[in-house]
Amino acid sequence: MAEELASKQKAISIGEFFERNRQILGFDNPSRALLTTVKECVDNSADACEEAGILPDLLVEITKVSEERLKVVVEDNGPGIVRRQLPNVFGRLLYGSRFHSNRQARGQQGIGVSAAVLYAGLTTATPVHIVSKVEEDPAANVVDLFLDTQKNQARLVKEDVLAWDRPHGTRVELTLKARYQRGRQSPYDYLKGTAIVNPHARIVLVEPDGTRTTWERASPDLPPLAKEIPPHPHGLELGELDSMLRRSSSKTLLQFLTADLSGISRRGIQDVLQKGGFTGRERPDGFAGERVEQLLAALKDTPMATPSAECLSPIGPMLIKRGLKNVLGTLRPEFYSPPVSRPPKVHAGCPFVVEVGLVYGGDLPSDQSIQLLRFANRVPLLFQQGACAITQTVAEMDWHRYGLEQKSGAVPVGPVILLVHVASTKVPFTSEAKEAVAQTEDITREIELAVQAAARNMKLHLSRRTRRDQAMEKFTIIQKILPKMAEKASGIVDKPVPDLTRVITRIMDVVAVEARGSGEDPTKPSEKTLLTLTNYTSRNRPIELFLEVPLEAVKEGFSADPKPETLSTELGRVTFPLQRLSPNAKVTYTLTWPKPEKLEPDDVDVFVAGVDEAHLLGADPLPGDWDVRLPAALVEAAEDAQIAAARPAATAEGDEEVDYDAAEKKESFVDEE
Amino acid sequence: MPPKRKSPSSTKSRPEKLPDTDKRVLQPTLDLAQQIYTQLDKGDIPRMKLPLRTKQNIAFSPRDGVWRLGNQCGVRSARKLDGALMLLRTFWLVDFIEEMARDNKHSTLRELYYISEQWEEAKFHSENESNLLVEDLEVMCERMREDFRLRPEENGASVIGDLTITEINRKGQKKKINCRDDVGDGGYQLPANVEKEKISFVSHGAKFVLAIECGGMVDRLAENGFDEDQNALLVHLKGQPARSTRRFLKRLNEELKLPVVVFTDGDPWSFRIFASVAYGAIKTAHISHYLATPGAEFLGVTASDIENYQLPSDKLSDRDIQALKAELSDPRFNTEMWKSEIELMLQNGKKAEQQSLAKYGLNYVTEKYLPEKLTEMGVL
Ligand SMILES: Nc1ncnc2c1ncn2[C@@H]1O[C@H](COP(=O)(O)OP(=O)(O)O)[C@@H](O)[C@H]1O
Ligand SMILES: [Mg+2]
Repeated sequence: MAEELASKQKAISIGEFFERNRQILGFDNPSRALLTTVKECVDNSADACEEAGILPDLLVEITKVSEERLKVVVEDNGPGIVRRQLPNVFGRLLYGSRFHSNRQARGQQGIGVSAAVLYAGLTTATPVHIVSKVEEDPAANVVDLFLDTQKNQARLVKEDVLAWDRPHGTRVELTLKARYQRGRQSPYDYLKGTAIVNPHARIVLVEPDGTRTTWERASPDLPPLAKEIPPHPHGLELGELDSMLRRSSSKTLLQFLTADLSGISRRGIQDVLQKGGFTGRERPDGFAGERVEQLLAALKDTPMATPSAECLSPIGPMLIKRGLKNVLGTLRPEFYSPPVSRPPKVHAGCPFVVEVGLVYGGDLPSDQSIQLLRFANRVPLLFQQGACAITQTVAEMDWHRYGLEQKSGAVPVGPVILLVHVASTKVPFTSEAKEAVAQTEDITREIELAVQAAARNMKLHLSRRTRRDQAMEKFTIIQKILPKMAEKASGIVDKPVPDLTRVITRIMDVVAVEARGSGEDPTKPSEKTLLTLTNYTSRNRPIELFLEVPLEAVKEGFSADPKPETLSTELGRVTFPLQRLSPNAKVTYTLTWPKPEKLEPDDVDVFVAGVDEAHLLGADPLPGDWDVRLPAALVEAAEDAQIAAARPAATAEGDEEVDYDAAEKKESFVDEE
Repeated sequence: MPPKRKSPSSTKSRPEKLPDTDKRVLQPTLDLAQQIYTQLDKGDIPRMKLPLRTKQNIAFSPRDGVWRLGNQCGVRSARKLDGALMLLRTFWLVDFIEEMARDNKHSTLRELYYISEQWEEAKFHSENESNLLVEDLEVMCERMREDFRLRPEENGASVIGDLTITEINRKGQKKKINCRDDVGDGGYQLPANVEKEKISFVSHGAKFVLAIECGGMVDRLAENGFDEDQNALLVHLKGQPARSTRRFLKRLNEELKLPVVVFTDGDPWSFRIFASVAYGAIKTAHISHYLATPGAEFLGVTASDIENYQLPSDKLSDRDIQALKAELSDPRFNTEMWKSEIELMLQNGKKAEQQSLAKYGLNYVTEKYLPEKLTEMGVL
């Protein structure tokens, strides 16, 4: 009788547990249930591939079975699961392998794939169908099973072997009550986000209407595998310490402190022993109750080295950019900010890293709130945006100073996609649903610093763009309009066209560098780049040009005409001989690229010496760290310029006057005829 | 072989004979060319001064009783792309006008916009730009666009009521028309040119002119026989009235001594319609003395009407509110009456259409609202 009761009690607790926690588990409505199912399977596949050092190839196929039922198939090329583990992985709730491991993994974000199996069984009475093959086995194992809510274990309904046409991998099929929707919080969005932060994965999605989307692999390199490290004492909780002590194979406390925990120095160990009143010879499994608390207090009270970040696997700036480009390329953004990857920091004994990517312009709408892509441990966060520390930090920043509109306390408005990734062994979430990062000072501060850095890059880009537009305007005036105007006016007064040099230099008043590709689209990198250096100022000028080009290009045989004076293979720095340019005179440099397809438009930095920043266009003044000996003429010219700049500007004509055309535009003449 | 077209940029043909009038009209543009040539030759950035057509630069002229252009000037300079383009376009425009003069042709403003396709970089980006440049030329040469052989699209309003006029039609014949008996439901369509040489007044049985914003309201009054019952001459303004409509109203007022009453929707844009009829529009401030009717009075719908007559209303939009606020700093609206009306409208946050009077039935406007308001104004 007591036995019978006991098993019933258990049955109630599993079923009830699920019912009670549907929301936390992510199965509270049919569309969310679908997403959670896809997520559990995809995260497992990605985790497994990475651990096994395999570049993931994932297929997600969702088909409609009936009005309320969908079938979800997730297939990977991972290491496979051995036959013996299949019932545990899919048929037992809370049988994760990563739940307790002390390194960054996706699995921590979910309850485990078995919850999806349970949900499928409850809603459609259909078993999960698994095909899995490990490399060593000649054939794949096929298993159909239910999660038995009474025993919290698998109930096998079918078992078979199959000759599979692939060396290893896993295919999971689930039929569940679910609804398919595109748009926000859909499997599509989830996989798109996953593709961005996992550029080493190839992901294919087939939607119920047959639409097939492929996110191709954008990087051939697997992310470095996060190492498992012993827990850091500052991140320990009482229960955790208690069970560690009990399960430890260490013979003494001293040994435990050295081997089972990380970050404690020899001095630290002495401190802990002293503070807690221990000898160090105690047996770990003999600790209980108050003594565990004493030990924990002593540990927390002792300063320690920050935990190693080897247990993390950040995406890294290069891959963030690649991932964004790969997935968002069709939006033709005009600017990818150099991504920001902050150095690892520690929160509550757990190391964490914040990374940020930013994309601006192109086809992104400029009258809507920016798109915020939140990620924790390479997993997209799709729910509870408002409650998330990422959103709150972004909303609390002052974006006006970066050139975006913003209502106070809200996410800014503008053509921007902002990616924020928080990676940690233990990301603090606001709730068990694990969809929103909790506000904690350490993490918020890092998010803020990273987003600010990205925003500064964007601002820099915007002001460069404004300068470039203004420059383009001036070029149009002097190259296309002024000559025609002179021709017309001269025709009317019947006199020869005057020399325009002086007018041109007065309008421009800069030394300009214009870059043009030799290809069809001159703004795109091509085999040759023509750099034209023109002195649009009213003085004779000694000028020297410098370039910084990608190292690879130098190694592969970059050349220039006129010939560079020096070309450094270590720094990619190129210097050219001094030029003397009279007003309106120009010199053109032809740069030849061995592999233009590798070149990005902003890969070449152009510097000019002999001209101050205010009179320089399309180039920057030579930075101090170049350490080049400039010819005396240049040094003198620079000094002259400084003196001239210090003098109060001669009243520039047109300063005090109203610009007629600008005033006319402003007046707008509403509806008047 | 087809004859070679003369390049539109060719200026060599200048010594060719131009009709004297056109020469005189365009003289200031020759001076401009000389000025710019001199600037270029001296190495100065080409520029010219023009009186600003902005609301800060209009001044009431006691002599004309309307608001005219003040004497603040702005500079159009080749330092800026917009300025450089407009300077260049001015020369292209003068070329085009001379070409028309030689061939004795005229063109519409819209045609001018399309002609600029031949002007290379200088072509207009919008019709608004070409219209503005023509107005600039009017200011520069102190002439009207008709003197430059340019005319607007036929967008004149219609007139209904007992007014007999003669119009010289396209065949050069004088046609006598009574604007009540000789026209259809649409009334008499005003041509673009409403000057004496084209239209002359013969006789009329009207006591006053009622200028109306919307076509629906004109139809309502006509159907209710308001023109006959009250001896009113109905003029449809069609939103912001065209120059010819404003000029025609002025002639009715000056030559026939008929009071002009303006009846519009009750919103900020309608206030501007009235201002352009009675005070002169900012955009055409250089010819206000020629277009505006100083005695014209505003009948409604006023902000107080919306309250007094309990009219169905809409909430003011953000744009409406902006427009009202702009009017508060518009010197033309700087009177007690307008200030209190604008502030009342801002305060109530409501606007209403003239046709909202139909709330009380189709006859309400002609039997109650208009008689009441006109009596109050002393017109009836
Ligand atoms: N597609 C798969 N390929 C290989 N191993 C898998 C796969 N899915 C699940 N596993 C194994 O099953 C374990 C349990 O998965 P799960 O219940 O989702 O928990 P968690 O992901 O938190 O570890 C995983 O840790 C992994 O070892
Ligand atoms: Mg999992």
